[in-house]
Amino acid sequence: MQDNLELIQRLQQKDSKALSEIYDHYSGALYGVILRICKNEAMAQDLLQETFVKIWEKSNQYDPKKGKFFTWSYRIAKNQTLNSLRNPNKLIQNEDLSVYINKTDEEPKIDIQELDGSLKQLEPHHQKALELVYFNGLTHREAHEEMNVPLGTFKSYVKQALKKLREVYQKELLILWVLTEMVI
Amino acid sequence: MMDRNTIKDTGILEQYLLGELSEDQRTQVEDLLREDADLRDYLGKIEDDFEKIAFENAITPPAHIKSNVLNHITDTDEEVIIIPRPQKNQLVTYLAIAAGLAMVFMVSGLWLYTQWQDAKETLEVVQNQTNDLRDRIVSLENNLNETSKWYTAINNPNTVKLILKGNQISPTSSAITYVNHSEKTVILNPQGLTKLTDAETYQMWADVDGEMIDMGVIPSDQNMIVMKYIDNAESINITIEPKGGNDHPTVERLISNVLL
Repeated sequence: MQDNLELIQRLQQKDSKALSEIYDHYSGALYGVILRICKNEAMAQDLLQETFVKIWEKSNQYDPKKGKFFTWSYRIAKNQTLNSLRNPNKLIQNEDLSVYINKTDEEPKIDIQELDGSLKQLEPHHQKALELVYFNGLTHREAHEEMNVPLGTFKSYVKQALKKLREVYQKELLILWVLTEMVI
Repeated sequence: MMDRNTIKDTGILEQYLLGELSEDQRTQVEDLLREDADLRDYLGKIEDDFEKIAFENAITPPAHIKSNVLNHITDTDEEVIIIPRPQKNQLVTYLAIAAGLAMVFMVSGLWLYTQWQDAKETLEVVQNQTNDLRDRIVSLENNLNETSKWYTAINNPNTVKLILKGNQISPTSSAITYVNHSEKTVILNPQGLTKLTDAETYQMWADVDGEMIDMGVIPSDQNMIVMKYIDNAESINITIEPKGGNDHPTVERLISNVLL
């Protein structure tokens, strides 16, 4: 997946149509991340909105040389979510705090625990490792404690998981390529 | 310090991607990435992996969030547009100040101009007065010089004052002469002589051995006149003659004489 640098440039020049396109492209992926970290739909919706406002405001700070646009946006979404979990009073001022606490205990309507796609094809401990750092917003240090394995082992889980994922993707691409060849 | 292999092994790039690194570590990683194309490729792959997971696990958010976001940024845009307004006001303020200053300069300029014109007029008046005064001083000086001259001449101990009384032809006439034999001068004050017609004039004569010798025509408009001094004159005589004077006296019209 290549970044659309022209679109990003338009965003940096404060073109609201560019933001609209970027929203259409990235909002689902970012909402998935936010919702899995905070586990509260109302809160996740507010956070998604704040995330895109921040992407708009800080777009000039994005440097394509330092990484992909999604990585940059992901970090913003994750930081926003973790910060609001640390200071819950700052967010959702219109909601009763007790209601909010009850809500976190409830199971969300969408089954966010269930992860999709290539992740499913990974071994459970690889899947868990990626889920903790990527979708739960845990740091490596927090995650290795959560999984009850040494930090070094946890790091190699993440690396192996990514490597496996790549193999899965490549297999999928190969199948796709064979299929298209056959159709043609 | 970190090198390429340590970075790959320690999983620090994954942490970099996830935003777990401290400011210091992040800068170090970014420095290394800038120099190392291989490492950049490696990071690119991890980024792609993570991005794919995220897209595979995407959850569609409610539609109103997008409109909220777009409304929010257009609101902010409007706020941004508001910012130039104070600047515009500032410009108006500056223009108002400039206009005010221009007004002040104009008014003060006008005031200075009228003051200047007044001063010029006053100066002209003073200059004219000065000229008048100078002229008057000159004429007074002339008068004084003349008066002093007459005074000196009359006040001389050698000067003899003689009164010429009018006879029956001109009984109201009288004239005064001042004769100085040592300096050989004759001065006449003809003011007492009766006024003549325009065609006539008084003339003065000296009698030397029975012959009348012209001493000069007497002008009617002067207070003091210097007449010709004639040696060995026995008497001074005044006659009425045609205008411009005569070579020989008209004895019938002799009005006064005095012996010396």
